[in-house]
Amino acid sequence: MSLVTDSPVNSSSSDDFAALLDSALDSASSDSSPVEEAKDDDDVEIESIKRHKVENMGSTEEPDGSTSQVSVTEVLEEESTKQNTCTHPGSFGDMCIICGQRLEQESGVTFGYIHKGLRLNNDEIVRLRSKDMKNLLRHKKLHLVLDLDHTLLNSTQLVHMTPEEEYLKSQTDSLQDVSNGSLFMLENMHMMTKLRPFVRTFLKEASEMYEMHIYTMGDRAYALAMANILDPKREYFGERVISRDDGTQKHQKGLDVVLGQESAVLILDDTENAWTKHKENLILMERYHFFRSSCHQFGFNCKSLSELKSDESETEGALATVLKVLKQIHNNFFDNTSDNLMGRDVRQVLKTLRQEILKDCKIVFSRVFPTKFQAENHQLWKMAEQLGATCSTELDPSVTHVVATDAGTEKSRWAAKEKKFLVHPRWIEATNYLWQKLPEENFSVSVVKNQ
Amino acid sequence: MFFHIVMERNMQLHPRHFGRNLRENIVSKLMKDVEGTCSGRHGFVVAITGIENIGKGLIRDGTGFVTFPVKYQCVVFRPFKGEILEAVVTMVNKMGFFAEAGPVQIFVSNHLIPDDMEFQSGDMPNYTTSDGSVKIQKDSEVRLKIIGTRVDATEIFCIGTIKDDFLGVINDPATA
Repeated sequence: MSLVTDSPVNSSSSDDFAALLDSALDSASSDSSPVEEAKDDDDVEIESIKRHKVENMGSTEEPDGSTSQVSVTEVLEEESTKQNTCTHPGSFGDMCIICGQRLEQESGVTFGYIHKGLRLNNDEIVRLRSKDMKNLLRHKKLHLVLDLDHTLLNSTQLVHMTPEEEYLKSQTDSLQDVSNGSLFMLENMHMMTKLRPFVRTFLKEASEMYEMHIYTMGDRAYALAMANILDPKREYFGERVISRDDGTQKHQKGLDVVLGQESAVLILDDTENAWTKHKENLILMERYHFFRSSCHQFGFNCKSLSELKSDESETEGALATVLKVLKQIHNNFFDNTSDNLMGRDVRQVLKTLRQEILKDCKIVFSRVFPTKFQAENHQLWKMAEQLGATCSTELDPSVTHVVATDAGTEKSRWAAKEKKFLVHPRWIEATNYLWQKLPEENFSVSVVKNQ
Repeated sequence: MFFHIVMERNMQLHPRHFGRNLRENIVSKLMKDVEGTCSGRHGFVVAITGIENIGKGLIRDGTGFVTFPVKYQCVVFRPFKGEILEAVVTMVNKMGFFAEAGPVQIFVSNHLIPDDMEFQSGDMPNYTTSDGSVKIQKDSEVRLKIIGTRVDATEIFCIGTIKDDFLGVINDPATA
């Protein structure tokens, strides 16, 4: 390290140093700094020794035949090509993560949520996913992607709070110890956040079966603030907090930024449209509206939970229900030990489990769809089929349920006469959210008077 | 690598700082402006160690501000390709791990972690050898070799490797 004592300290101008650095960086140039030079010399020396050895080997083995010579040169060639053709599987700060070379064009998917400046190519993602899969299955875990708003919590801007909600401001929990509270005021973000009842237990129990991710349409700052509230000890999510800034498509969520095999990912979200490409992985959640502004946003003009000073049930709420479903899926996935785990698909498990719910039902819809609408394409029809029911347009003795909004229609009257169940369309929706066949009596239909 | 070098900078000073403490004011402003910043050419300025000289001030027309050329000695830090560095691990995941050496962000991909070290997930993700004797996790100290650097205006990125002799964990907080 003669360099340090040598030049720059005593030199009067910084240009000398800059020049020195430049030359040091350019290792190819001959008149480089003493240190570089020494290193270069060493390198050359080592290399020449190596070469010498190889030549020696070649020459001593020459008498045995020319094949060994060939193999030696082959090995050499192989090594050199290996060095030359780095596939650049990813980059960090525009440098290849394997060879450190500067990469000119940006390629692959950005993983900004893990670390700034990190990008990975598709091949590398595939490789990581399959490696991850083995690791995951060894620990008997699957991936779970969680949405924030309306799924795990409900947030509102402070300015949107109604006078009836003002009382909440005095009931907020302290941000010093967030591990127990459920209502928080984030002054610097001008927001109030209410956690869904049961969410703490949910996260704790789900974390034993699933590797969990947060994926929200909010921005990065919001996502991190919420992650901090939900997971103050950072034991559930780690760096797996994805916000809309990290997605690859606008107004869409995608599993391409999730480093997990799609066949092992479950999604909990309240918005089906955000996941157009991954509907098979999705478990749809009933929206959690606590604040008035949130109800209003989705067109409900009733009193909100906050105004009624009530809340979802802790033990029978949506999160408790879905936790049971998650446990069931986890069990089914890992339970039958007959075939290999790698080939299994959680989407299939999810589908099968869902089809159990209305297995023996045959449903006929009455005046639920607009007249010219293709019945098979209607959301309710599809939903019923996903739940395992058979849908039909014709009445016959095997029909078990008639779905209608009006008890006065022809089919409704037929149902009453034949002692079939006559239910409101909400019955199907509720069944879809709660994952069990609900008592039909609670969804009875009354006659709409025609004027 | 650290260097002790002389650099020059033009300092603009508001007239209110003129007077007996002019020199101190210039120095404290210089420290505030320069320490902790990063220049692509010299690397990260760690600390100012002394002032060589302060030149004649030049009054700016119209504003009354005065520009002083200041020559100062400072310690700078700049990583080089091939350099061996000691760094603290900040994050471990299945892609590899991130480490910090002062302001420098270093990424060591799992391709460049010895093959006998396996990734273990959990609330404290880590890379561990099959016999469990060596473990890399958050806050571990590692010795690594830089194989690529990029010095930006404000940040320094590096790619590192520990797949070589005498590289790897040097101090494990879990066992310490």
